Amino acid sequence: MSEQTGKQMSKEEKDARFEAELLPVLDPLYNFAYRLTLDEDDANDLVQETYLKAYRFFDYFEQGTNAKAWLFRILKNSFINEFRKKSKQPAKVDYSEVEGYYNTEDVEGESGVATTTDMRTESVQDLIGDEVASALNALPVDFRTVIILCDLEGFTYEEMAKILDIPIGTVRSRLHRARNSLKEKLEKYAKSMGYNGE
Amino acid sequence: MESKFTEAYQKKSEDCYDTECEKVAHILDSLVDGEASSDEQEFFNKHIESCVPCLESHQKQKLLKNLVCGHLKRVIVPETLALSIKTKIQETV
Repeated sequence: MSEQTGKQMSKEEKDARFEAELLPVLDPLYNFAYRLTLDEDDANDLVQETYLKAYRFFDYFEQGTNAKAWLFRILKNSFINEFRKKSKQPAKVDYSEVEGYYNTEDVEGESGVATTTDMRTESVQDLIGDEVASALNALPVDFRTVIILCDLEGFTYEEMAKILDIPIGTVRSRLHRARNSLKEKLEKYAKSMGYNGE
Repeated sequence: MESKFTEAYQKKSEDCYDTECEKVAHILDSLVDGEASSDEQEFFNKHIESCVPCLESHQKQKLLKNLVCGHLKRVIVPETLALSIKTKIQETV
């Protein structure tokens, strides 16, 4: 379909550049997809769709610019525009609601003791990782997103604004609210583990 | 009434804080994310010389960030994914 005008690359060139510049982002991109969808198969589909789109629009990508941010933006848009609508499975659990129930009932009291005894079998590192993951997963997707982009992937506020298509001021305030919310969830856990936050 | 409120709110968001601590709370994220301006950084450094609570809340914010970047496990990309992306692309082109 594409006309071969003077400036355009040959298919071989395009494929080679695509592989060299975009495929190395696969790992962070898949992780981002997984944190958005909380499902491995969905993450798989979302990443594939993102790369297909990226290939289709590769001519618009300026070589040497931020490939990672570009792909993250495509993925985020795919997630919002199509993916959420497409996966209309009503059975999908709204994690924030479920977590809410557990948090109110189960945080204090016996559960604290139960988790400390588990430390013998599981490494403490794993335990903390799991707890951070479940606190993060319990956040609304917009909050989860800014934390992943900022803390896990190390994007700057400016890059985040571009990826999410929102003003930098909104990035700041969303990140602030997201962290407050995450802090609240983790503090409950810290208390159950015997930390006082001192 | 409402416009008066908005006015006051906007004024506040333009670097007009009741206390220094309030300003620190506002720039806490920028500080831990390395996004604070040099003025902000300098202001913070001076302020914590005499304010322990702000120093502590800064440390807590840093701890929170480190919990996410240091402890959240990365999921492993399925081995077949890269290949199936390439195959799909060739099929659709």
